[in-house]
Amino acid sequence: MRVLTRRFPHPPAFLRQGPLREGAFPSRLHDPRVAALLGIWLGITFGVCFFTGLVSHFMQHPPSWLAWPARPVWLYRVTQGLHVATGLASVPLLLAKLWTVYPRLWEWPPVRSAAHALERVTIVPLIAGALFQLATGIANIAQWYRFRFFFTVTHYWVAWITIGALLIHIAAKLAVVQANVGPGRAGRAHLTDRHSEPEPPGDGLSRRGLVVAVGTAAGVITLTTAGQFVPGLARLDLLAPRRPDLGPQRLPVNRTAAAARVLALARDPAYQLEVVGPRPFTLSLGELLAFDHHTSKLPITCVEGWAADATWHGPRLRDLLDAAGVPPDATVRVESLEARGGYRTSEVNPPHARDPLTLLATGLNGAELDLDHGYPARLIAPNRPGVLQTKWVHRVVML
Amino acid sequence: MKTTPALVLRGLLAAAGLAVLGYGIHGLLTMERATHPLQAARWLIGGILIHDLVAVPVTAVVGLLLTRLVRAPYRAVVQGALLVSAAVALASLPLWRGYGGSPDNPTVNPLPYGRNLAIVLGAVWAGAAALIAVRAARARRRLGSAPDTS
Repeated sequence: MRVLTRRFPHPPAFLRQGPLREGAFPSRLHDPRVAALLGIWLGITFGVCFFTGLVSHFMQHPPSWLAWPARPVWLYRVTQGLHVATGLASVPLLLAKLWTVYPRLWEWPPVRSAAHALERVTIVPLIAGALFQLATGIANIAQWYRFRFFFTVTHYWVAWITIGALLIHIAAKLAVVQANVGPGRAGRAHLTDRHSEPEPPGDGLSRRGLVVAVGTAAGVITLTTAGQFVPGLARLDLLAPRRPDLGPQRLPVNRTAAAARVLALARDPAYQLEVVGPRPFTLSLGELLAFDHHTSKLPITCVEGWAADATWHGPRLRDLLDAAGVPPDATVRVESLEARGGYRTSEVNPPHARDPLTLLATGLNGAELDLDHGYPARLIAPNRPGVLQTKWVHRVVML
Repeated sequence: MKTTPALVLRGLLAAAGLAVLGYGIHGLLTMERATHPLQAARWLIGGILIHDLVAVPVTAVVGLLLTRLVRAPYRAVVQGALLVSAAVALASLPLWRGYGGSPDNPTVNPLPYGRNLAIVLGAVWAGAAALIAVRAARARRRLGSAPDTS
């Protein structure tokens, strides 16, 4: 402990030049109280992003001990919609927060003790990670790939880096927050030497004004983008990468039949659906369409944060599995006509496979399924990311 | 320094944070076929450099210019409206710049984003203009001697 907090000798004063000079940053917005308030809000938004991101990650890569539920139907829509919405709202919060603490980058002396040096070093992954997560997230929802790393994996690991650095930052700054925020903060002033000075008079943006502007910015961003997953807000959806009602059969598409290179196979009149279990069988297209049909109202809920409601028609997956003698506790794999690609197949665990809402849909919104939506048949199940709602299905295999 | 419960809590929090941070770095480095650690590091460091050495100085210069260009009671409104505009434009940058999407899929980035950004920023600045008008009226009332002036 003593080693960590022992004061280093002061560096020579003539080195204190440029932004290192005293009073180099006159803005009254460089204030510990505003920084602490924005920090609390960022802690909340980054916490929500991290938690909802983990939900999405483990939904797609479930560990053996986790059985993901099929209900409530809207769960993934909410968690992934929140993930993207809170990330977007964090843009003004993060930039304003960095502005309030920017003079700390040029503080004098640069390092006071070993503990101070350690704390400053861990600021680097925190700021780098936070900027990285927001920038790559914004690029990904627009499907803009200027980087060579694979988005999902890199975003996932940098999330752990960012949250780890955030925990360290909270540990280091807890006293500053306690001394500057909340009723009775004057009584906690002894905890730190970083105190909010009374606001000096000025003509520019005040501290209250900054908080109002940041809140307005976050509000405007949310209002003009949340329509991509919140029902009823689509008319305000001006600046989101998706509109839930724009696309073939009034539904957006993530991967087209052309991109998946299934145009010829999906249109082939000799198409057959094969269900492999203890009593395997195949259905021709005509037989599949004649199979006992049901209707499900289920949203497509995409990992990119948009969600769109739709009405699907087709045989229930569980009826097909029953016909093949697949036991109720079996997991099945649904296979697409695609020759390759990370999402060519998906596993369906019993909660989803046996859910009465889960269909192998052949129709959408009252018409035959569009090629881009997975004609001749696609999986549609409740509370499941869109990338796992496998399209152009031709095989269902018991595992 | 005395060892208080608060200090112990902060120590535990820092240790947990360090472990989580290490886990993230380990994952980033071991999954290198997907994460391209050198590329990722370049983007991570690049973000900090662009922010600290470009974005902040540019913001400071804009602030300085505003002190010359806009008078006192209205400058705060203009600063606030600029902050909102910049944040909205940054959060939707790939869209109104026309980056991204895929040529065969018109349902990705399907809207006229340049026009939409103009609508949203137009509303923001209309709000700012209303605020300025209110401040101007208030200043005039303070200057005007009595309620009898019409």
